[in-house]
Amino acid sequence: MTTPIPHTALTRRHLFQLLGLGAGTAALAACAPSAGGSAGTAATGGGAKTDFAFSSWSLTEETAAPAIQSLLGAYGDDNGVSIEEVSYPYNEYISQLTLQVQGGQFTGAAHVDVAWLGSLAALGKLQDLGPLAEGVDYTEAGLTAAQFDGVQYGLPWNIGAIGLVTNSAMLAKAGVDEFPVTIDDFTTALTKIKKLGDGVIPYAASTKAAQLKDILIWMETFGSPLLDGSTVTIGDDASVEAVTWYKELYDKGLIAPDVDRFDARSLFAQGRTPIYDDAIVGRDAVVTESPDKDLAGKLAAQSRPVLAAGDTPRALVWGGAIAVVDGEGAETAADFARWVTSDPDAAREYFEERGLPPATESALALPEVAADEFGAQFSERITATATSNPFWAYPQYAQIESAIAEQVQAVLVGSKDAKSAMAHAGETAQGLID
Amino acid sequence: MTVSEVHTTKHTESQQAPRRLSDGQFAVLLLLPGVALLAGVVLYPLVAALVTAFFEQSLVIPGRTFVGLQNIVDVLQGDFLRLLGQTLVFTVGTTVLPFVVGFALALALNTKIRGAKVLRGLMLIPWLVPGVVVSFLWMWIFNANYGVMNALLETLGLVDGPQAWLAQPGTAMGAVILAKTWQSFPWMMVMLLAGLQTVPGELHEAAEMDGAGTVRRFLAITLPHLKGIVGLVLLLEFIWNFQHFDIIYVLTGGGPAGATQTFATAVYETAFHGFDLGRAGALGLLWMVLLMGLVVVYVRFSEKGEER
Amino acid sequence: MSATTQLPATPPSGRAPAATTAPAPAPAPRRRRAALRSERPGVRLAAWVTVVVCGGFGLLPVYWLLATALTPRDQVFAYPPRLFPAAPTLDAFAALASNEQLFVYLRNSVVVSVITAVLSVLVSAYMGYSFSKFRYRGRRSLMYLVLASQMFPQALLLVTLYSVFSAYGLLNTYTALVLSFTTFTLPLCVWMLKGFFDTIPDELVEAARVDGASRLRIIHSIVLPLAAPGLIAAGLFAFVRGWNDFIFALTLAGPDKQTLPPGLVNTFIGEASTAWPELMAASLVVSLPVAIAFIALQKYLVGGLTAGAVKG
Repeated sequence: MTTPIPHTALTRRHLFQLLGLGAGTAALAACAPSAGGSAGTAATGGGAKTDFAFSSWSLTEETAAPAIQSLLGAYGDDNGVSIEEVSYPYNEYISQLTLQVQGGQFTGAAHVDVAWLGSLAALGKLQDLGPLAEGVDYTEAGLTAAQFDGVQYGLPWNIGAIGLVTNSAMLAKAGVDEFPVTIDDFTTALTKIKKLGDGVIPYAASTKAAQLKDILIWMETFGSPLLDGSTVTIGDDASVEAVTWYKELYDKGLIAPDVDRFDARSLFAQGRTPIYDDAIVGRDAVVTESPDKDLAGKLAAQSRPVLAAGDTPRALVWGGAIAVVDGEGAETAADFARWVTSDPDAAREYFEERGLPPATESALALPEVAADEFGAQFSERITATATSNPFWAYPQYAQIESAIAEQVQAVLVGSKDAKSAMAHAGETAQGLID
Repeated sequence: MTVSEVHTTKHTESQQAPRRLSDGQFAVLLLLPGVALLAGVVLYPLVAALVTAFFEQSLVIPGRTFVGLQNIVDVLQGDFLRLLGQTLVFTVGTTVLPFVVGFALALALNTKIRGAKVLRGLMLIPWLVPGVVVSFLWMWIFNANYGVMNALLETLGLVDGPQAWLAQPGTAMGAVILAKTWQSFPWMMVMLLAGLQTVPGELHEAAEMDGAGTVRRFLAITLPHLKGIVGLVLLLEFIWNFQHFDIIYVLTGGGPAGATQTFATAVYETAFHGFDLGRAGALGLLWMVLLMGLVVVYVRFSEKGEER
Repeated sequence: MSATTQLPATPPSGRAPAATTAPAPAPAPRRRRAALRSERPGVRLAAWVTVVVCGGFGLLPVYWLLATALTPRDQVFAYPPRLFPAAPTLDAFAALASNEQLFVYLRNSVVVSVITAVLSVLVSAYMGYSFSKFRYRGRRSLMYLVLASQMFPQALLLVTLYSVFSAYGLLNTYTALVLSFTTFTLPLCVWMLKGFFDTIPDELVEAARVDGASRLRIIHSIVLPLAAPGLIAAGLFAFVRGWNDFIFALTLAGPDKQTLPPGLVNTFIGEASTAWPELMAASLVVSLPVAIAFIALQKYLVGGLTAGAVKG
């Protein structure tokens, strides 16, 4: 993860371009403070520690809660403060948090998916954590992922990517010894896997609307930039080809209907699919859910196939950051955010509990972390070339993604052809951005 | 139970001892708590939300701009008609189907078959399982890749290979309606059972002595007697289902490709995931206009039907 | 098809006082039995077929809920699914016992639903009484407006309600939930109770007035006791409304006061996986006490309605 990422620079430049556009829109919308304008700057100084609130979707989740709560407990005890826990289900988290922040109900530290930073920052209540990040050896990729409009709105906690996770034993059984490098070879390999029979789904790609946005990374693989400046390019040949290809896989039964990330994990755990898209966070789930006790040893991370050999494999940045919402307790919350994301002991404990990659160089160098083969493989083959979704730069990104997903779904179920569906998706997305 | 004449007795001022409030004032006073709740929880928020229809307003960006009818035009040019159609299919389906199931069960459990009492109790369970769980249970049952529905149907030889019930536009709405039916048939059953028990037994006996068959007696005695309750449950179900949200949202999220999207889920998606309050308000406004039409027609119709 | 067979076995208690004053004559039990004996085999068969088909529809999913709850975590996703869990386990149930947060959700659900039920019955009773015993212009239109008020998209109300409750400091309190749910139960309860009050003879009310009882007193000490079964039935329906809601509970209740529906999602539908056995086990455990309570109060559900809503 130490190598600078080629694509992120481009993304950042885009973000700067968008800044102008954002300001324009803001002026047009006649809204009082422009996005981020009223954001305070985190104080790095001392001062008495106060109680604060911490929100995370993981706080009530059976599998994740103990690890986080133990960190909260440790910080609370060390500093003599009590931390109020706030939690919403993952799927509703950002809407609920938005309501709470906007209504002034929530202040403090908030665990966020990096995709959400744009929406939250638009509320104008996030602190600039740039000064806090100074002197901490956060990875370049982590820092970039937790920025919006060039401002460090989040401190990176666990930054990784979403890529292809495979079951190497199953692949070998199907006669796929080398993971395919090009899309054509990939399609051929899927056909081979299909021959395993027994209801095996060669590639448990997302086909339910919730995660159909996974298609975006394939569009990029086919050569569509998605967004060029402020022009949505969906509808171009590359995006149409990607969707046509997806539809072909769907019709041939190489990918299956009614699959979202949860389903894919379950299918993978059951040994009914050898390939699916996931981030490292899914590892625990598939391993503990599987009747195959050796599954952990069969896991492999693979680079996404490319259009022509030699292209850079695409992957989507995915990860968690901690943002600080201005207001009561914000100062201590910011201190907590820095501690939890950078303290070596905290990082070690959290890694051991959840297996998520930390976001500082020193934590990545910890022996426990370095010993994680799958994790290392994942970083090298997937995270290294990961880029952000360009739509994240817009507060409306969720609406954009679901508009695209709906059109792709229409193609999959055969109610629209790829060309007109993508043209429509592009128009809708453009309309949302303008 | 013949009580219709009771309605005709009216309070008149002459019957009244000297009091501070007139009957009319007292009647209004009784309405107040309910009216206050309706005004605060429904009316005011409704009006406030409808006003946003004329603004470009986001949940995340402070401030708003007046845009006139732009949002409404956008919605109308979008998939408004499709939404309307789907909303009606869902509403009618989830009103009629639970009614049929609930009525059939009520009739069956009103006979003297063994275990009727226990069954009546057991049948309440679907209604009492927390609503979201109903969605998850049916999502679990209908799942294309590991659901029990496919396994059952395949064993019975009714389907050829697993079907993606929730992922095909042709079956998704049916699946959603079935799940909602499962949740709401128990209360239909309870209401109709209550109705059935008020049907005077002697009417049936008399009819039977006259040689009327079961079906005839059902049509001539039972049904007319149940008119009131049947009308009420159908009306209430229609009203509730028209704006029902939870089950669709959790089960399909409105998909696949928008095939199960109704007004209720579309409004939520637009406001809470798209953050677009203006458009959500426009959807609501159009919905409201449609409803007003319906209500006016209904009230006219029912007032003409019975002057009481 | 005899329609009255259950009455002798479970006389809805509320009918007794009403029956003494209402003209409806109670037929002698002996004659009813005679009617029963004549129930034809065809009718019985039809009844059984209905029970098997519709009952199966009602209960098979419940069975599947139970079967899933008993399946070990690593076998839940096996295909084809086993109709009878091969190695049933109580692990999922055991896991619940140690989850304190679930009990918080359960408590919140019970508190919210019970208060909603009580408040709803009270408010609806006043409203229903006004609709039933007084005549004024716009009465009927208002009754339909009460019904129609529930046809609006509640998601739309949510955004404004959120800021209203926020302004009054009621966010993250039981109050916000209770007020919302009570309002949403009004149409059903008002209409049910209005029907119930219709069956209470006006003469009774008049007699009390002649004796000098105040109008409020008449309501509280004469009408409401007579309507007790109807009130209980209305209360049970209102309870379910609060018990089942997801989106209002999620949005208005905040983390501390969240009820079971969002709570269950929060706990078992994770970022990475869905804990199906635990989710199903938890659903069963929390539904069971309510189901038992409802079965115990069944006679009110049916009996309370008998005299009331049916006349609506």
